[in-house]
Amino acid sequence: MAGPIIFDQKVKTDKKRITIDPVTRLEGHGKIDIFLDDKGNCINAYWQVPELRGFERFCVGRHVGELPVLTNRLCGVCPAAHHLASARALDAVFSAEPTPTAHKLRELFYMGQYVHSHIAHFYALAAPDFVLGPAAPANKRNILGVVEAVGVPIGAEVIKHRSYGQKVQEIIGGRATHPVFGIPGGVSKPLTEEERVHIETMAKSCVEFGKFTLKLFNDVVLANKDYLGLITNGKSFYQETNYMGLVDENDKVNFYRGKVKIVSPEGKELAKFEPKDYLNYISEHVEPWTYMKMPVFKPIGWKGLVDGAASGIYRVGTLGRLNVSKGFTTPLAQAAYEGMVKTVRSLGVTGPVHHTLAYHWARVVELQYAAEKMLELASDKSITSTDVRGKIGEPKEGVGIVEAPRGTLIHHYKSDKDGICTGINMIVATTNNNAAIAHEVKKNAMALIRDGMVSPGLLNMLEMSFRCYDPCNSCGTHLLPDGSRALEVRIIDKDGNVKQVLKNF
Amino acid sequence: MKKNRVLVLGIGNPLLTDDGIGIVAAREIIKKGLAGVDVEEATASGIEVMEMMLGYEKVIVADAIFLPDHEPGEIMHLKEEDFSHTVHGSSPHGVNISTAIALGRQTSPEMMPKDIVFIAMQAEDISTFGESQTEKVARMMSEFIDAVIKEIRK
Repeated sequence: MAGPIIFDQKVKTDKKRITIDPVTRLEGHGKIDIFLDDKGNCINAYWQVPELRGFERFCVGRHVGELPVLTNRLCGVCPAAHHLASARALDAVFSAEPTPTAHKLRELFYMGQYVHSHIAHFYALAAPDFVLGPAAPANKRNILGVVEAVGVPIGAEVIKHRSYGQKVQEIIGGRATHPVFGIPGGVSKPLTEEERVHIETMAKSCVEFGKFTLKLFNDVVLANKDYLGLITNGKSFYQETNYMGLVDENDKVNFYRGKVKIVSPEGKELAKFEPKDYLNYISEHVEPWTYMKMPVFKPIGWKGLVDGAASGIYRVGTLGRLNVSKGFTTPLAQAAYEGMVKTVRSLGVTGPVHHTLAYHWARVVELQYAAEKMLELASDKSITSTDVRGKIGEPKEGVGIVEAPRGTLIHHYKSDKDGICTGINMIVATTNNNAAIAHEVKKNAMALIRDGMVSPGLLNMLEMSFRCYDPCNSCGTHLLPDGSRALEVRIIDKDGNVKQVLKNF
Repeated sequence: MKKNRVLVLGIGNPLLTDDGIGIVAAREIIKKGLAGVDVEEATASGIEVMEMMLGYEKVIVADAIFLPDHEPGEIMHLKEEDFSHTVHGSSPHGVNISTAIALGRQTSPEMMPKDIVFIAMQAEDISTFGESQTEKVARMMSEFIDAVIKEIRK
C-alpha cells in the first residue's frame, strides 16, 4: 500500500475570497466563505449552514408521548440519540424512573448506535484523510479509495461490524434507523434469551474489531511523524476551550446518563449539574451571519469568536468527553485512554488535550469502549427480565440529556396536564460545537492560507478541521436528513466579488 | 424470512413536506399486496440504503428529487449511471447513495441487485416541517405511484 499524500502543490490565486460549499463528507449543506486581503492572506472566514423551518411549531400541540418518534426523524445520522434523549426527557416529564432492566436495554441499544456511528465516521469520513492523505486526488479520497488501499476483506469487516451496530439497534429498538421502543419510564418490549445470545456473539466480534481499529490508528496515524506533527503542532487544528460532557458518579464517561460536567481550558471543574438545571449553565448566543445558534457557558458568556479561559465557548463530542472525565469503566478502553494521555503528556501537554485532530483518536478509543460495554451488558443474563417499565406520574416539564456520538444532546419539553406539548427546546451536539467549529475554521484558514497560495489539498485540510467534530448540520439547524447535502467554498476579494468557487456536487 | 426478487424502496422524511413522497408511495403500494414484491420505507441514506438492497434482483427506489430548472410534480426515471458523476462527490456523515452502491458492488458484488432504478418526482418544498405535500406535488402522487408499479411489471 502506497503511503498517504499529505501535502500537494500549492498555486497562487489572485482571488480574494475562497468558498468551500458544500463541505464533503458532512451531513447537511455547509458553506465556507474565506475572505482575502490585497496580499492574498486570509483575513476572515465564516462557516455557515442553511436552515429548515418550523420544527418547534410542528411539535407543539402534539402529545408528548409522540416526541421520541418525531424528534428521531430530525436526523438520519443519529436518530437513536434523539430517541433516547427524548425518552429521558419523558422520564422527567412523567416523573417516571425506569427499572434497572429498562436502563440496561436502553444503554445496550445505544452501544449499537455508537459502534455503528463511530465505525462509519472513522472509516468513511476520517480514514480517507489518514490512509490516503489530505492531498490525495479528490476522486480517490473517499471510502472506495480506502477499501482499494487496505483491501476488500478489511472493507468487508468494516461493513460487517457497522451492520452489527445497526442490528443491535434493530433487535432492541424495533427498527434499525428510527427506533420506537423508548417510552416514559422504560422500554416497550423485553429482550428474549435468544436475542441476548445473538447480541453477545456480535458484541464479542465488535470488541475484536475495536482492537483492530485502535491498532490501525496507531500504525497508520500515530506512527507517521508527519501526521503526529499535524495533530500535535499546537498552531493549526488547536484551540484552548472549555469542554462539556456527561460523566458517572466516578467521573467516567457515560453516553446514556449522568451529570453534565464542564471544565476550563486548564482542566479545572467549572460546573457539574443535573440535566434539569442546564439553563443555569448554558445560554444561546445568536450571530447575524448564521442560522445556527452559538451556545456558551453562561457564567462567562459570549466574548466573541475567541478561545481561552476568558471565553465562554466550549467543545463537546469525543475529545470533550475525554477531557471532562477520568476515562472509561471498561479495561481495554481505559488502557487506550491511558496510552493516549501518556503520549500527550510526553509532548508537554499538562491539562486537557486541545488538539482538534485528536477527536479522531478519542473516537477510536470510544469505539473500543462501546464494544466492550455492549458485551458487558449483553453478557448479563438479568437483562432478559420482563420488568421493563417503571410507574409514571402526571405530566409536567422535563429535560433529558444524553451524549450523542458527536456530543451533548439536550431535549427540553413542557407539557400541559393532558400530556399535550406546549413548548420544546433542543440543543443538539453540532450546535453545542458551533462556535468552536466557526472559530476553528477561521483560525485554520488564517494559518493555512498565506500569500494567496491555495491547493485542493490545503482546502481539504480546512475541511478536516471541522470534520473532526463529525458535525451534522441537519439537526444543528433543525434541518432534515436527506443525507445528500454538501459544501461549497467561495473565495471573495476585498470588494466582495466571488472570484472562485469550489464545490463537491 | 425469504426475500422476494423485487424490492420497492420508498425513501424520504415523512415529516418534511414533499421529501416524504417516497414514503407515501411505499405505504400506498404495500396496501396493494403485489405478489413477488417486498415494499420497504427508509428515512436513511448511503450505506443503510445499500444494505437494504442486498439479496434482491431488482430494486426500485421511489424518492423526491430537487433539481434546478424542473417543475414540481415532474416524474423522472433514472438509472444508476445517472448518478455516476456524484460517486466521488458530496457525501454526508456516511456516504451518498451512489458511493454506497459502488461500495456494495466492491465488497459484496454477488449480493447486489443487477438492476437498480430510481423513480423520482421533483419536489417544491423540502425544507418546511409538515406531513402533507404541496399542491402540485400532491396532484401528481397517483401518477408517481403508477410509474413505480409500471416499473415493477417491466
